[in-house]
Amino acid sequence: MSPAKRDVLVCIGLAIVLALVPLVIGTRYIITQMTLFFIWAIVVTQWNLVLGVAGIFSLAQMALFAVGAYATAMLAYYFAIPVIVAMPAAALITVAASLVIGAACLRLRGPYVALLTLAIAQVIYLVVVNDTACFTNPPSGCLPLFGGVRGFSRFGDLGFRALLGSKFYVAHYYVGLSLAVLAVMFSIAIIRGPLGLAFKALRDNPGYAMSRGISKFKYQLWVFGLSAFFTGLAGAFYAAQFGVVGPIVFSIAMLLFLLSMIVVGGMGTIWGPLLGAALLMLADEGMREVGDWRDIGLGLVLAVFVILLPKGLAGVRLRRAKAGL
Amino acid sequence: MDVLVQIIASGLTLGAMYAISTIGLALVYGSLNMLNMAHGALLALGGYVCLYAMTVLGFPAVAGVAMAMAVCGIAGLLIYHLAARPMLASRNFETQIFIATIGIGAVLENVILRVFGPQPVAQPLKVDGAVIIGSVYVPNQNILILGVAVLLMAVVAFVLNRTRMGRAIRATAQNRDAAQLMGIRIGKVYAQVLMISGALAAVSGIMISSLSGLLPNMGGDPMLKAFVICVVAGLGNVYGAVAAAIVLGLLESLIQYVFGVQYSFAILLMLVIAVLIWRPAGLFGRTQVVRM
Repeated sequence: MSPAKRDVLVCIGLAIVLALVPLVIGTRYIITQMTLFFIWAIVVTQWNLVLGVAGIFSLAQMALFAVGAYATAMLAYYFAIPVIVAMPAAALITVAASLVIGAACLRLRGPYVALLTLAIAQVIYLVVVNDTACFTNPPSGCLPLFGGVRGFSRFGDLGFRALLGSKFYVAHYYVGLSLAVLAVMFSIAIIRGPLGLAFKALRDNPGYAMSRGISKFKYQLWVFGLSAFFTGLAGAFYAAQFGVVGPIVFSIAMLLFLLSMIVVGGMGTIWGPLLGAALLMLADEGMREVGDWRDIGLGLVLAVFVILLPKGLAGVRLRRAKAGL
Repeated sequence: MDVLVQIIASGLTLGAMYAISTIGLALVYGSLNMLNMAHGALLALGGYVCLYAMTVLGFPAVAGVAMAMAVCGIAGLLIYHLAARPMLASRNFETQIFIATIGIGAVLENVILRVFGPQPVAQPLKVDGAVIIGSVYVPNQNILILGVAVLLMAVVAFVLNRTRMGRAIRATAQNRDAAQLMGIRIGKVYAQVLMISGALAAVSGIMISSLSGLLPNMGGDPMLKAFVICVVAGLGNVYGAVAAAIVLGLLESLIQYVFGVQYSFAILLMLVIAVLIWRPAGLFGRTQVVRM
């Protein structure tokens, strides 16, 4: 069986198992947390494509996620567009934003890209937070154009609440699951497909690859733009799921959390980031008891994994498989 | 006229503060190709150690600064031995050390948060009074900062240009392999560079906190600014970094005057993005011709 076929089958198998979960577990908290897991799974698989496959050291991924979330909230809030329509529109806006960022950054070398994308993320954050002029005056008080420190709320939802009543979170679970499956399928298509092959060639022998007409900039821009679609969609779904979008989506702690998922799981692999997302969310749940130490724990996990296990948990498995042969 | 004097006075102070922390980053990048994302946490650490030494231990100001420099220098050394050294040989060193130092910075910042609490504290090292130029009020604190910064820059320039250690650092930055073949222990150079960078971060942190107060996450913005300055100058270019720091400090105080404080950083960053699109290797950076 070809690796691509195997990965697709694993993905379908996992999707079927996960689709059965709400029939067995009725606890709302668990179902909601798993919905959040799907959102993070989408973000880390797409970020992994940028970071691990295309080798673009971009830290703007959370800013793109935020663009998706904010675009959904703002379209729904200001223009009264139904959230279900605003979500794909927000994903397209995110792609446009990513192409602008990509055009500015991708001609630069590794560390410059990291710094510039971090700076761009920071600019967006500062513009959102520092804007205090009232754009509208809803009954809840002054609201700046980008929501200011408070952010947006009450911009509508996906409509499942009216349809299903108190069980609406189960519908959100399935929406999240289907989006995550699409995102993982897309990641398999990139990694196992021609784009992944092009990047493998560029990594193994850049001179030969370029002389065969593989343009690094062009392919990087493709991956950057395409992965932004699902990242924006994840942001849009985040907005729909929680009904609130605030500047917390820009926070360094959140960036750290998601970056740790990729690093712990294994950068550049298909299943590593998903494994990392699941493990870190479980660990986070465990650390809830010791709340204050959570950020210290996260920082330590990140540093220790990069230093001792730079290929992540997926790397350990690969090495063992090779030793067995 | 008065406005101009005011803008220049505050701009030079800002520029001097940025320059001190930027030199450290530029030195580290120049010799190790390492972007130290824990630098912001080191700034905060320096500020808090000085506070601790002066208020709890009752040290005089000079001893407080010395202690802060020593502690941050040791922290830099630890970062080298625990994080940078194990992965130096790795192919993705630049990416890995970047991520590792993000983690270390988060740990350090949160430890400071645990120990000293989240409330802002005033930095005890502060001089009162002011000099009046025309009708402009220039606080002595700003003049002290400027003086210390110039002194430190002179010391760093002396060390780099006139000492054996400085020559080794410059040689390593120019060509790591050639330096190693000439018998320079590059491991020692790396350790020295990270210690110097840590000590400079301590001074910079004390300066910044004496103007804006101490907070565990106070290092974030200055670090980003220092990186921005490094990038504008061309990563690893120490003298370019000093020039860029002062220009950006002046520019920032001008923007603050014209557009208001809340937009200064955003406008500054947009200018930098424009510079990088125009000159991808920075203003003073040499364009590297990479041969396959």
